[in-house]
Formats: sequence, C-alpha cells, structure tokens
Amino acid sequence: MTQSWHELAALCYAAGALVGWRSTRVAGRARAVPWLLGVGAALHAVAFVSLHAQEPPTPLESFPAALSLIGWLVAISFLLSLRFADVRGVATWVAAAAAGFTALASLELVVGPARGAATGSVGPWSHAHVLLSAFGFSFLALASLAGLGYLAKERALKHKNASARALPALESLDRLEHFALSLGFPLLTLGVVTGFVWVNQQGLSPWTGHTYWLLAAWTIYLLPIGLRVLRHEHGEKPARSCVLGFLVLAFSYIGIRLIGAVA
Amino acid sequence: MNLLLVGLSHRTAPVEVRERYAVPDDALQAFDEKLAREPSCREALLISTCNRTELLVVTHARPEARERVYGMLSEIGDGSATPEHFYELYDEEALRHVFRVASSLDSMVLGEAQILGQLKAAYRAAAAAGSCGPLLGRLLQRAFRTAKRVRSETGLGASPVSIARVGVQLASEVFESLEQKRVLLVGAGEMAESALQGLVDAGARDVTVLNRTPETGRRLAARFGARAEPLAALERELRSADVALASAQVDRPLLGRVELERCMAERPGDPLLVIDLGVPRNLAADGNLVRDVYLYDLDDLDEVAERGRAKRRDAIAPANAIVQQEVERFGRWLAGLDAVPTIRQLLERAERLAREEALRVAPTLGADPDRERAAERMARAIVAKLLHHTVERLRSEAAEGGVPYYAAAVRELFGLSEEDD
Repeated sequence: MTQSWHELAALCYAAGALVGWRSTRVAGRARAVPWLLGVGAALHAVAFVSLHAQEPPTPLESFPAALSLIGWLVAISFLLSLRFADVRGVATWVAAAAAGFTALASLELVVGPARGAATGSVGPWSHAHVLLSAFGFSFLALASLAGLGYLAKERALKHKNASARALPALESLDRLEHFALSLGFPLLTLGVVTGFVWVNQQGLSPWTGHTYWLLAAWTIYLLPIGLRVLRHEHGEKPARSCVLGFLVLAFSYIGIRLIGAVA
Repeated sequence: MNLLLVGLSHRTAPVEVRERYAVPDDALQAFDEKLAREPSCREALLISTCNRTELLVVTHARPEARERVYGMLSEIGDGSATPEHFYELYDEEALRHVFRVASSLDSMVLGEAQILGQLKAAYRAAAAAGSCGPLLGRLLQRAFRTAKRVRSETGLGASPVSIARVGVQLASEVFESLEQKRVLLVGAGEMAESALQGLVDAGARDVTVLNRTPETGRRLAARFGARAEPLAALERELRSADVALASAQVDRPLLGRVELERCMAERPGDPLLVIDLGVPRNLAADGNLVRDVYLYDLDDLDEVAERGRAKRRDAIAPANAIVQQEVERFGRWLAGLDAVPTIRQLLERAERLAREEALRVAPTLGADPDRERAAERMARAIVAKLLHHTVERLRSEAAEGGVPYYAAAVRELFGLSEEDD
C-alpha cells in the first residue's frame, strides 16, 4: 500500500513536470503545475503515514525513506516559496526533481528493506541528522533549481531569446535562491554536525567517501554565502556556485551510493 | 497618379542601418525644402521615424524624380544601405502604403498610436517647407482619416500600445515589480513621455528624467512627479539605476561599453536593463556584452511586440478593408480631378460671379439697359482674361495625360466643390 501511495505521488509530480514542459512549448506558463505538485505532496504525506504505520515501520534513516522525504520537502518548500515570490515558472523543474527523488525512493523500496535499511542504530541523533540533512538537502535542491533558472533566464535575456520567457523574472529567481540557500545551508551544516555525533557515538570513523564529498559541497556553498553576505553580490556568480554545490552534494548522497551499488 | 515612394523600414533594414538614415525632427524641413526646389518633384514629403525613412513625391517625370529621391536618401544616410534595404512603390501601392503606415498597420507594434503624430509632424514640416501641395495635402488628410477610422472601427486601437510600453513589458522579465526600482528616462520627447506614462502605470515611483534641454526634462518630470537631471549626469545616474529607457535624439551613442563597465563595476550582480528606443541608438550595441547589462534596441523589441501583435491580429483584415475603401475613394477623387469638369466648374463659377457683379452695379448706371449690358460684358471679359491662362494650362495638362496637379490646385484655390465628399 505504501508503495502505491509513493507511486501515485511520483506520478502526480511527473504529470506536473510533463504538463509544465508541454505548456512551455505550447502556451506559456502552466497554472496546473503547482496544483499537481500540491496533490502529489498530499499523496506523498499519506505515503509517509503509511510507511510509519507498517510493521515493522521503515525508519527515516533508511536511504529510500530519506530520499522520499527529500522529494516531498522539495515540493513543499517550493509551494511555500510561492507565497512570497512568483516563481511558478520553475514549477516544472521542481516537479521533475520531486518526481525523480520519489521515483528513486520507490525503486529502492521495491528492492526491499535489506537495501533500504538504515546503517547502524537509530536514535535521537540519527533522527536529527536525517531530518536536518533532508531539510537542508531539499532547500539546497530548490536553491540550485532557482540558480539554474537564473542562469537560463540570464542567458536568454542576453541573447534576446524567447526560449526562457516562461521562467520567472531574474529578480524572483534570485530571491528564491537566496531564501532557499539561507535556510538550506544552516540546516545542512547542522545535519553534518549531528551526523558526526551519531557516527562517533557508534564508534565508527566518519571519514568515508560520502563525508569527503559532503564537505566539498559544504565548502563550495561557502562561496555564494560569502558573496551574498560579505559583498552583497547576487546574480550569476552565486547562482553558479549553488548549482555546482548541489551537484557535488547530490553526488555525495546519491552518486556515491549508486557507484557503491554498481561496484 | 504618378506617386513615387522610396524608403527603408524595420521590415527591410536592421536598426544599425536605419539609424544612419534617420533624420532629426528639426532637420526635416530643410530636406523638404531641398526637394521642393527639385524640378522633377512637384510635391514631396519626407517621413522619418524610429522605424522608417521614406520619401514620397508627386512627379511628372518619374525617372528623374526616382534618381533624385535616391540621391536625397544618399545625402541623408551614409551609403551603408544596400539596394535590398530599400523599397519602391508607385501610384496606388504607394498610396496604400501611406494609408497603412498612418493606420499603424505597418508598425513594429501593431496599433501603436505614435506613428500618426509622427506623420503629422512630417506633414507640418513639408507644409512649412512648401513641398507639400494640394495633392499630398489631400492624400495625407485622407491618410489621417483612414487611421481614425481604423482605430475607431476595428479592435486595433482597443488597448493603445507603443513601442515604449513594450519596453516596459520587457522590464517585467528582469524585475518582479518596478515599485522599488530606480528608473532612468533618457530624453523628453513624445516617445519618452509615452514611456514614462507606461513606467508610472507599471508602478515605477523613483524615476529620473535626463534631457539635453534641462527645462524640457524638468517639465516632463514635474508632470509625473519624477526628478530631472541634465543629460551629462547619465553615467553617474546609471551606477544606481535598475532600468534605463533611452529615446533621446543623438548623433552618436552617449555611452559605450567602457563607460557601462565602469558603471557596473560598483554593483556586481545587480542587473541593469537598458531599453534603447533611439534611432540612432543612444548606447553602443556592444554594451550588451557587459556583465549584468541587458541592452535591447528597437529590433530586439520586435519579438516582444509580436505577442501584442498576435492579440491584434484579428483586427488586421477589417483594417485592411478600410484602407482599401479609402484608397478607392481617393482614386475616385483623383479621377474627379480630370481637367474637363474642373474647367467647366471654374467657368461656371466665373460666369456667375460676373453676372452677380454686373447686377450689383446696375442700380448705379441710371437704369440704362445698354450700360448694364456693357458692365456685364466687361465683368465677363475681365474674369475670362484672368482665367484664360489657367484654363489653357488645365487643357494642356489634360491633353498630356499628366498628373492632375493643376486641377487639384485650382480646386483648392477656387474652393470648387468636391464630389466625393
């Protein structure tokens, strides 16, 4: 049943991405995309309740559950951001990202609890680590999507190209990126710290490939933060750093795991 | 009809060519005067707007006039235009083109209202120069009437737009709103005024008008609660501006890439949208290469205008039908200028006047029928002699089958009735 809710949510997100993509090509912004994201997020919430209700309950610390949580949070944080900026133009990308995370989580759930089970014991630190990291990851995903949108829009405006007309105004994208980065970076930092504490408590070494890549991503994020806080600079440079930072961050979470699975 | 129109427009030439053939408003009359002195051109009109430079002439010697018109265009421009940039239209096609231009059917922004004002200014300059005679005068009056009909009878004028307002629309691609933004308006002409109205409507509150003549700038600024600065302050003002709308009449760009780079160095990451509506352009085209500067000129706005054009497309067919009706109507008026009816009407008018004058003096002649007849003969003889040369000229014109130029002039000067009205 949990699986079905997840799949339905992923389908809604994917439908949103598809509708958005089609409407960009055919008739401008799709007002339906945020609604589809909302419906997907609601179904996703039901999937979490169902996940928690099953016997034995799947811990949040399991990789697919954390991945699914990220997908849900990306959708939710975007829907929240709509309250203060008209960024509907990136709804298609957000829907695609949410669909990707949720579908990947569903696949992992299909494989079964053996693959999806958490490593090590669970407790308050592990919960804190997973929740803070997932929140941080999802906000940073949103920041990177806004950054990507900014770069695409910036390029289109420079080249007088109508292709990015469906995207929000540069200023809106910059504001969304700033908002998501301001929340995502501290949450990620707390997630890293709580992760260290959790691993230390279990007497394990924190210095794995995942940690190195995670710290690399964290360091990259210092650049947009520094540019914004110290130089009050926004625009293209912070946007590039956000996109690059998220690529490294995603690799530290997902890429390393996928490579490990293949190996 | 013997109308000849030669020109280039946004349909045939890019802005970098058009700007070299643009004639400032204050120089229009001088060119019209030159054309008026040209023997092959009976009447002439020079139209120069941001989107077109056109010469319209009435001629009885087409090859010579054509050569002279191209000569004049070379004099206006710098020779950078190639033959493909120009178009030549004759008689009914030229007439239809002028009616379409006046009705804004040939504009970059379909339905924009500014072209009519620009055409009227061109007419005034030609009239002042003495190059616009009865035929072109009548033609332009018809064109204005056609434009009025198109605007009132079709949806083309339903929501008035201008190229300046299209620029304002572009600002929404960069900024969420103009409320907190610093806006610069360079120039205080009609285009600038329209742009300022658009900016204020779009929510702009912090607006600065920069103009070469400070007093004109101050007047425009005062009407909209904006600040006025001299044009020399442009570079300084750009350092803190978010949007700059430039439409000043200039000979060469006011700022180049280097100056823009200097402005942007102090505000990394802050976008600056520059909409250059000037022809010639107010800012060097390579300014777009400067980081965070988005520089759009008139041709770049064409794509933005396309969306507005799509909305008004339904009005094109009825508008074209009105233009066609008016072209036919003007054709009928021209046919009515045939020399024979004009001569007949003129002589009838003269005969009537002579008779009336003879009757008026009759009571002073002592009720002598001979004297009365003599007075009437004298009156008739005077008007006949006065009109002899005029009538002969009209007859020879009719025999040559040339332009009904004199017929039009006679009708105008003697106030003969116009059947088409």
